[in-house]
Amino acid sequence: MGVSREEIRRIAELAELEVDDRLAAELEGQLSRILDYVAQLGELPRDAEDEADARAVRLRRDEPSADPLLRPISSFAPELRRDLFVVPKLGELAQGEDE
Amino acid sequence: MSDVVAAARATARRIADLEARHGLHAFLEWSEDSLVRQASALTDAQRAGPLAGQAVAVKANIADLEHTTNCGSRILEGWRSPFEATAVRRMREAGAIVAGKTACDEFAMGSSTEHCAFGPARNPVDPARVPGGSSGGSAVAVASGMTDYALGSETGGSVRQPAAFCGVVGIKPTYGRVSRYGLVAFGSSLDQIGTFGRDVAAAARLLAVISGRDDRDATTLDRVPLGEPGPAPRSLAGTVIGVPREYFPEGLHPGVRAACDRAIARLRDLGAELREVALPHTRYAIPTYYIIAPAEASSNLARYDGVRYGLREADGAANVREMYRRTRGRGFGPEVRRRILLGTYVLSAGYYDAYYAQAQRARARIARDFAAVFASGVHALFTPTTPTPAFRFGENLSDPLSMYLADIFTATANLALVPALSLPIGRDQGLPIGGQLIGPHEGEFTIIRIAQALEAALGGEAREEVR
Repeated sequence: MGVSREEIRRIAELAELEVDDRLAAELEGQLSRILDYVAQLGELPRDAEDEADARAVRLRRDEPSADPLLRPISSFAPELRRDLFVVPKLGELAQGEDE
Repeated sequence: MSDVVAAARATARRIADLEARHGLHAFLEWSEDSLVRQASALTDAQRAGPLAGQAVAVKANIADLEHTTNCGSRILEGWRSPFEATAVRRMREAGAIVAGKTACDEFAMGSSTEHCAFGPARNPVDPARVPGGSSGGSAVAVASGMTDYALGSETGGSVRQPAAFCGVVGIKPTYGRVSRYGLVAFGSSLDQIGTFGRDVAAAARLLAVISGRDDRDATTLDRVPLGEPGPAPRSLAGTVIGVPREYFPEGLHPGVRAACDRAIARLRDLGAELREVALPHTRYAIPTYYIIAPAEASSNLARYDGVRYGLREADGAANVREMYRRTRGRGFGPEVRRRILLGTYVLSAGYYDAYYAQAQRARARIARDFAAVFASGVHALFTPTTPTPAFRFGENLSDPLSMYLADIFTATANLALVPALSLPIGRDQGLPIGGQLIGPHEGEFTIIRIAQALEAALGGEAREEVR
């Protein structure tokens, strides 16, 4: 199944990833080929047993505990003011994005 | 000067000498000062530990407090972790010191180290060839003699494949055997820290030290650490070893086939019963892996956005989303961007069931194949680790799919959560070939024992030409 240039733009937007025209053209061929290859999974029947087994990893109960950082936040934060991470302004929401 | 400090200085000399002579680029970061400082600071308890004074090379995606943890990526260049991986803490408590951080494919995505943003490592056997990946630098450190031990990580074969390409031993434990705390996340349902050694006992010793339940990782098994490896058994009488036909396809590289045939003959000489078995869903492993791993990666790597740590590209950005996109677009290399987009695609509305949910069903079938074979009285499986010996730089770089197929015999164990190891079983035209033993869930003891017996039976043959 091929993936179009428009779809690459859409998923790049979802993934918050800058993709220029040259890269989008390259990815169009590569992702289409990979998706064609993985599409063979479609031939497997969908059994109830598979659904039951699909949760592969079993987790213990998560018991949160204090986990102090061994270096201060200021040692790695790109920009910090009064212990808050500073970012550029959020900007205007495009139409429909606040729904 | 104490013995451990002298050993640390000797390690530094070996690394410097081997790098100067062969340009292997095993390490992204190491220094004699750090080695000596760590050795000098060892306590009496550490000096009495099972790894007293041993330098362990650590993959660049495993957090330590002595070096940067850049994951082979520009986006984390210069980043020092504010916490230490449980595996690193445990090996230090056992007396080890961190030799340095080793080259790997960016965020462990690759099979050659060619996707390392700071340059690839080179195979010590033939520097024109890749060492395998993603934990290639760790394999090179051990294979070249810089260190006796190394830590790597696996998501689809990233310890076993470079171990096979470089002619050393690599163990991927059962999922949950070793804490992932401090291992930078790639595909969380698959990721597991593994170990390298020049022989089976060394890799098993390091694994024993780092294994066991960790309160900081809810996926660790509620088990005490593994024991130290014993001596190699002289006989494998009563042991049933399955040989899955799907791992020996018609087009298998003739050198790989010849080395496996010889290893199987040695296992038989040791008294093991060899039995042909079937794992019918094997051919779905790579498609399954290349849906699940990128899907999980696209979620795990969302945290690199320039806000809290790592690279930030904000100059001229009109708003925060422009900063995210620039930071991620410029900080991640091509393979990571490809996998993030692939993962985002298979998880997006309209495609989720066809790709991700179907891959989860296929994963369940692959795991059931293994469970059925082990329930039939088979103790372990023997297969080749890789379809070919080490390939040349650039050979698979332009075609991502051909690179993905390098994991075809290893990704199954990650998907099924079972332990597996690779050990050297011969050479073809000078290039090492790895044989793989796969065990049932929590069956590390069994595969380590069989591997020790096979290693002893092969002796010098493991480094000799097979045809």
